[in-house]
Amino acid sequence: MVTADKLDELQMEPEAPELDLSWLNLDTEWGVSAELGRKGLTLQQINKSIYGEIPATSVDSSARPRGAAPPEGATPRMTPWVLGDATETFSDSAALLYDEAVSRQWSSATDIPWDTLDELPEDIERAMVQLCTSLTEVEFIAGDVPGKWLPRIAADHYESGLFLMSQVMDEARHTDVFRKRALANGGGLLLQGGGGGLRQILEAEDFTQMSSMLHILGEGFVQSLFRLGELIAHNEAEKRIFRLAAQDESRHVAYGVTHLKYTLEHEPEKAEEVHWTLDMFEDTLVDPDQANPGLAGALVYLLGDGDVDEGWRLFWHVRRKQVLEYLHRLDVAGLGGRLETGRLHPALAGALDEN
Amino acid sequence: MPDNDVIAAAKERLEQSGLPSTWLDIPVHWGVKAKEQATPENGGLRFQMLNVDVYGEVPDVWENNTEIPRGAVPDTRTEQMGYSIFNKAEVWSDLCAELYEDAIADRWNSSADIPWDSLEPIGADLERAVCQIATMMSEYGWTKAQTTGRWLQEISYGYIEVKLFLGTVVFDAARLFEVWRKRALANGGGMGRGGRNWKFLPLTQSYTFSEFVVASIMHDSMLLTLLRHGEQLAQTEAERQIYRLCEQDIERHLAYFVDHMRYLMLKEPVRREEIHRYMNKAEWYLAKDGDDTLYSALAVIMGDGREGAEEAMADVAELRREQIETYLGYLRQCHLADREDRLNEELRKWAGMVELEEEEKIPV
Repeated sequence: MVTADKLDELQMEPEAPELDLSWLNLDTEWGVSAELGRKGLTLQQINKSIYGEIPATSVDSSARPRGAAPPEGATPRMTPWVLGDATETFSDSAALLYDEAVSRQWSSATDIPWDTLDELPEDIERAMVQLCTSLTEVEFIAGDVPGKWLPRIAADHYESGLFLMSQVMDEARHTDVFRKRALANGGGLLLQGGGGGLRQILEAEDFTQMSSMLHILGEGFVQSLFRLGELIAHNEAEKRIFRLAAQDESRHVAYGVTHLKYTLEHEPEKAEEVHWTLDMFEDTLVDPDQANPGLAGALVYLLGDGDVDEGWRLFWHVRRKQVLEYLHRLDVAGLGGRLETGRLHPALAGALDEN
Repeated sequence: MPDNDVIAAAKERLEQSGLPSTWLDIPVHWGVKAKEQATPENGGLRFQMLNVDVYGEVPDVWENNTEIPRGAVPDTRTEQMGYSIFNKAEVWSDLCAELYEDAIADRWNSSADIPWDSLEPIGADLERAVCQIATMMSEYGWTKAQTTGRWLQEISYGYIEVKLFLGTVVFDAARLFEVWRKRALANGGGMGRGGRNWKFLPLTQSYTFSEFVVASIMHDSMLLTLLRHGEQLAQTEAERQIYRLCEQDIERHLAYFVDHMRYLMLKEPVRREEIHRYMNKAEWYLAKDGDDTLYSALAVIMGDGREGAEEAMADVAELRREQIETYLGYLRQCHLADREDRLNEELRKWAGMVELEEEEKIPV
């Protein structure tokens, strides 16, 4: 047996690597300098010259950064396949959204005023922890999905990759903060949600279809709800949770909208495919058999502060807002007309009826 | 104690309105309160503080293949979500929850937290060398984020702490990618040459999480050693800060990988030989990668230009020896001290370790 002591005794000179200076004479673009801006040195500011040129198609499945010279000698395929067409994953806003994500990170441990969590009436506390049980579930899947897609993003389209990496972080924090709220005030985790369309997002094998479901419809609805968090929250801690989570969701929704816009501008024929995906996902979202039995009840109960009739009234106010904002996002992305053509699910279209 | 009258009245109101009320029947674990525990002095409301009662019981085997939160009541209608890791030993470390909170507390921003205005012209050779190193750091960051991210969809909610922590690893790796890209493009340089990167295949090809972890221990050990030379390698305060902040992140990742592997070795010692096989593979790819570009760029920096590079190769060799020692040191912490006897022959030379006599070699 060779022991560490014995090895020390027998230590030799370490073998030196071979000196190869060929990389000092590369044919890459040289002389690039970025200027600092108001927010420091952002991705936008380094996306200059050839380094800022987004290839419409990338055939590179290695980790080579955009603009770097190819290595000498044979190189392996790092991933079985990448989504090489920019239309599959790209968004003109991805770099900006990533920069914003980095600058707006927050901590569920220290940025939430947990000391404002006073004891709530028992029914209200239960409704809140039921809502948080459902939300921690949803956010859990929302973190798995971008993780699944990361190995398929081409390094040439790194902006989208970085954005998805920031989304993984955001969703971890959301999973965590809603779990914390469920457990922090004497309650606990209650009833699981029953899927409610999460499986469809996970199993999608087309990025744009996935993004339409996750970013535009799913997170869009969640964002609209969080922005009305004032109606649900009973203390400053809960208000802050909804506010900060809504801010994160806004980035995710913006990515989905701008990605879809980019795709449809370059491949308008994909519109029908996305419509079909939304037909399917809307149908799942409103299907009573797929519905989360706790979520709707808890939400109505919280909105009405125990008054179920008032809660229903406010629920439809929230739903109307969710649907209007969803349609607006689709319009911006270039996929308007779902309401006018009767394609929007009747249960969602019905939410627009003022009565 | 729960007030049954209040709950009964709430149920009645919901049912009259046609809303499900079964969620109000679920027994709750009253009594856990964060208010008294979470103070700025103790780092706020950290995940571990709420890991109590059924919520903190992490089972050796998690039997639910849905996204159900640990401690919640299942809805048996829910579809399976395709997770594949249900064994605590495969992913667990007791440090996860704390490391997750530490990662968030240590967060930094490459746009604003690096003193970019300290960059100044450093001469063509040195700038080329820094940009070459930056290019290869970026490649590793990209690979690390992609390969870590893909495990998220495999790990079930039973081990939520692990997933939360891995989320921070993905984000840190994103920053590793972009902060070095920024450095390459910020000071009159540009991107260098991509690496051959055969050495990263054990990360991308791993079939089990443990295989991914041992490959990560090896690559992160190599990187960490390099980052710890930041004071020596940095040309400006901006680079010094980049080295320092990346080092802090990689140390955290290694803390998890090493503690997890230690846990696995204790819980499932029968897997020792299997783990050695993964190390055989990871080390083989590293040894055979045959791309000395990174080390050559380090030599140019250590030699203060191409003229001094040849002489600086001795220092570079010493750094590479340290890398292998760091790797073996972490493996010792994982109860894998026997790796010293089985280290790849090529890496033994890098480390200046004598070749073992035939009878001392353990068959691979």
